[in-house]
Amino acid sequence: MKAIVEPSPDTPLVWFEVAIRGGASADPIGVEGLHRHAGLLARRGAGRRQRAELDDTLDSLGAALDVSLSRDSLALSGLALTRHMDAVIDLAADILAEPRFDDDEHARLLRETPQVLDEIRDDDSALATRWFDWLCSPGHPYGRTSLGTEASLARIGELGRDAARELWRREVVADNLVIGLAGDVDEATAERLVQRLVERLPKGARVADAPEPRPPQPGRRTILVDKPDRTQAQLRIGHLASRYGHPDTAALAIAEAVFGGMFSSRLMQEIRVKRGWSYGAGCALRRSRLPHWFEIWTAAGIDVAGAAVALELELYADYAEHGPTDDEVDFARSYLVGAMPFHVATARQRMQLAVRDSLFDLPVGYTARLPELLGQLAASDVRAACSRHFHPENAVTVAVTTAEHARPALEAANAGPITVVRHDEY
Amino acid sequence: MSWQLEAEAPIGRGVTAKRYRLGNGLGLIAAIDKRAPIVALQTWFRVGSRHERPGATGMAHLFEHLMFGQTESLPPGEFDRLVERTGGESNAATWVDWTYYKLSLPARDLALGVRLEAERMQHLVLEPTPVEAERDVVTNERRERVEDDVDGWLDEQLMAHAFTVHPYRWPTIGWMEDIRALALPEIRAFYRTWYAPNNATIVCVGDFDDEHLRELIAQHYGHIPAAQLPAPAELPEPVQSKERVVRAPKPIATDRLLVGYKAPGQDHPDWAALEIVSTLLAGCPSARLYRKLVIDQEAASSVDAQLTPFRDPSLLRLAVTTARGHGADEIVAAIDREIAGLVEQPPAPSEVEKAKALAETDFWSALADVDGKAEALGHYETALGDFRRLSAIAERLTAVTAADVARAVRTYLVPAHRTIVIAEPEHPDGDDADDGEDAGA
Repeated sequence: MKAIVEPSPDTPLVWFEVAIRGGASADPIGVEGLHRHAGLLARRGAGRRQRAELDDTLDSLGAALDVSLSRDSLALSGLALTRHMDAVIDLAADILAEPRFDDDEHARLLRETPQVLDEIRDDDSALATRWFDWLCSPGHPYGRTSLGTEASLARIGELGRDAARELWRREVVADNLVIGLAGDVDEATAERLVQRLVERLPKGARVADAPEPRPPQPGRRTILVDKPDRTQAQLRIGHLASRYGHPDTAALAIAEAVFGGMFSSRLMQEIRVKRGWSYGAGCALRRSRLPHWFEIWTAAGIDVAGAAVALELELYADYAEHGPTDDEVDFARSYLVGAMPFHVATARQRMQLAVRDSLFDLPVGYTARLPELLGQLAASDVRAACSRHFHPENAVTVAVTTAEHARPALEAANAGPITVVRHDEY
Repeated sequence: MSWQLEAEAPIGRGVTAKRYRLGNGLGLIAAIDKRAPIVALQTWFRVGSRHERPGATGMAHLFEHLMFGQTESLPPGEFDRLVERTGGESNAATWVDWTYYKLSLPARDLALGVRLEAERMQHLVLEPTPVEAERDVVTNERRERVEDDVDGWLDEQLMAHAFTVHPYRWPTIGWMEDIRALALPEIRAFYRTWYAPNNATIVCVGDFDDEHLRELIAQHYGHIPAAQLPAPAELPEPVQSKERVVRAPKPIATDRLLVGYKAPGQDHPDWAALEIVSTLLAGCPSARLYRKLVIDQEAASSVDAQLTPFRDPSLLRLAVTTARGHGADEIVAAIDREIAGLVEQPPAPSEVEKAKALAETDFWSALADVDGKAEALGHYETALGDFRRLSAIAERLTAVTAADVARAVRTYLVPAHRTIVIAEPEHPDGDDADDGEDAGA
C-alpha cells in the first residue's frame, strides 16, 4: 500500500482518495461495467448501515464519499470538514472492508445503469466519446466501456452480486491500494487515518495489469453515428498512441500543446479563429497507464463537417510529417513550464497528481518534475517524437450527426470507408 | 491619482480582502494569498445580458469573445499569445448580471496582466472582419450548447416563459436571429457605454505586494476617464398568477423537465432559507425528492435543484430526467406531494442542520484556491454591490430554522408561481407537434 499526504491548513477541509488498481480495463470481456457496478454497490451500504442510513450519516456531517472509475483504477474519494474527518474516514473504512452488496441495491443498480446509457445517447459529446473509445482500437482494454452495454449488464445480472463481492475480495486489499490525503491534517494524524482505512483489509497482492494491447488496425475509417435533427457534428479523430510515462512523454506534451493544447495552437487557429467553423478545436493524449488514444476533437456546423474533417486530417498529416517549428517548440515549452505552478497550487492537486503517478508506477514527483525534462529537449527531439507516435494514416473518425445531411461531405473528406450506425445501438 | 480604502474583511483562513477605489471610480479588491506563486487577476464589469435590449440579445456575451481580439497596440491573437507564453490562461464568462475576464498568471507576470486588461478596456479594435469571425464562432457555440443540447434548450425555454417583462427572459448567449443581426455601430456603442473604469472592479487574489499592485493599476488605469453610465432600467417582473407549461419533442430517450418556482434575489432575507429548501429537496444523496423519485419509486434517473444567484428575483429550479416507462406528469405530481408534505410537516431541526453542514462544506470548497476566492469576491461585489455579502449570506444560512424553511416553502413553492418546461421523446414516425404552451398567464 502506498500513502501520500499533503498537509495544508488553508481551509477546514480534508480530501482523501483511495485508488484501487484495476479499473474498467480489468473488466472481463463480456462483463463490461462490473467494476463500476461493484464500486457503486459498495457505496450503497456498508457495515451495519444500509444505503439510507449511510447517506443520512454522511450528509449530516456535511461530507461526501463518491465512487469514480477510470480505465486504470476504481476510486473512493472523500471530502470532510476537519472536525468530522475521523467519522468520515470510519465510514470510508466500512465501505472498503465491509460493503454489504445488498440484493435490492444490486437489482436497483442494474435497472438504473441502462438509463445512464440513455443520458449518454442524449448528449452528443458524450456519445461521440463513447463510440470513439469503443472503435478507436478494437480489442484494446481501454476500449471496454466502463459503463457496460445492455448485454454486459444482463450478464452482470446473471452472475449476481457475488461477482461484485468476488471482485472486491480480490482487489480491495492493502497492497493494491494507493491512498492520498490532503488538506487540514498533519502528518501524524494522516498516518493514523490511513491506518484506519486499511486495518481491516487483508494484505493481498496487486492485481495484474490488463494484457498488452494488440497493434491498431491499419488504415483510415469513419463511423458516422446517425442522430436526427442535428445542426452540428461532434467529431473525434485519432488512434492508439503511447502511455503516460513513456520516455517521449515530455516531447509529446510539447507536440500536443503546439497542435491542439492551447488557444494559440494550430487546430484552434485554423478551425475557430480563421474559419469560425467550431466553438473549439483541440487535441489530447489520454494520460493512462497503458498506451492510450491520441484524439482530436471539434463540434463543427453540419454544413462544414466534411470540410472540417478533411482539414483536420490534412493538418494532422502535415504535423506528423514535419512536426513543430523551433519557435513553436519554444513557445509551448514556455507555456508548459509556466503552467506547472497552477497544477500544484493546492494540497489537493498535489495529492491527486501524486496518486496518479503512483498508480502508473512512475517515480515520486514525476509529473511535478516534467518542466525539468521539458527544459532539456531540443526541437528536433519533439519532431522525432511526432514521427514516432503520430500516425494520420491510421486515423479513426467518429462523427455524431445526421447522416442524411452530413454523409456526402464526409465521404469526400479522405477519412476512409464510412460505416453508418444508429446513435442508440451501442 | 490616489486610492481610497473602502472595506476590509476576512475571506477564509489567513486571507483578508480589501476594497480600494480609484478616483475615476475603478474598484479594486485585493486579497494576498502567498501559498503558491500565482495570481488570479479578474476584471468584473457590471454589464450582463440584463443590460441588452430586445432584438440585440447576446451583445454582452459577444464581448466575451471580442475582448480577446485586436487592440490598438496588440495585433490579432497577441493577447492570447502573451498570456500563454507565461504559462497562464485567460477566459471569460457572461451571465445575467455581469461579465468577467479572468487571467490566471504566474505571480511574476502580474504586471503583464494589468497592462493587457487596461489595454482592452480602452483600446479594443472593433472592425467588421474580426466581428464577423466571432459572430460565426458564437453561432456555433449556440448550436453546441442549445440547438443540439436538450438541457441547454430546457434552460433557455424556462427563462423565456417564466419571465415576461424582466430581461432575465432572454438567454445570455442571445437568440440566434439576434446574434446574426447585431450591428457594428451598436456593438461599438455598447463597448463605449459599459467598458469603463467606473463600471468595473478588478479582483486580484494570490502572491503579490499590495502596494505595488495599486501602483501598477493606478499607472495603467488612472488616466481613463469615468463614463456616463445609463441609469439602471427597473423592469420588475409582474407576479405570476398561473402555472405555465411548455412541451416540445426532442430526440431523447425519456422525458426531461425543468420546474422553475419564482424566488427572491440573492440578497433577499428569504434566499438563505430557500437555499436550504433546495438542498433538502435535491441537493444531496439523502434529499427528499432524490430519495423519493430516484431511489424509492425509480421514476427518475436524476433530480437536481438550483437556486439561481441573481441580483433580481429569479427561480428555484428542479431538473428531472425521468426513468424509462415514467413521464413528466407523474414527476410533477410527485413534486407536488413532496412539497405538500413539507408544508404540512416542517422538517425536523436535524434535517435543517444537515443542509447547513453541507452548505458549510460548499462554502469552504469554493474558497479552496485563488481562482475560487476571486470568483466569489467578484460575484458578490458585482451582483450584490459588496463582496462582504459572501460572509453575510453564509451567516444567514447558519441562522436558518425549520420554521424559516416551512415559511419559505409555503411562500414560494406554489404551483401558480411556477413554470414547467418538458422535453419529450419524438415519435418514431416523426409526426410531432411544434413547441406548444399548455397554459399561461
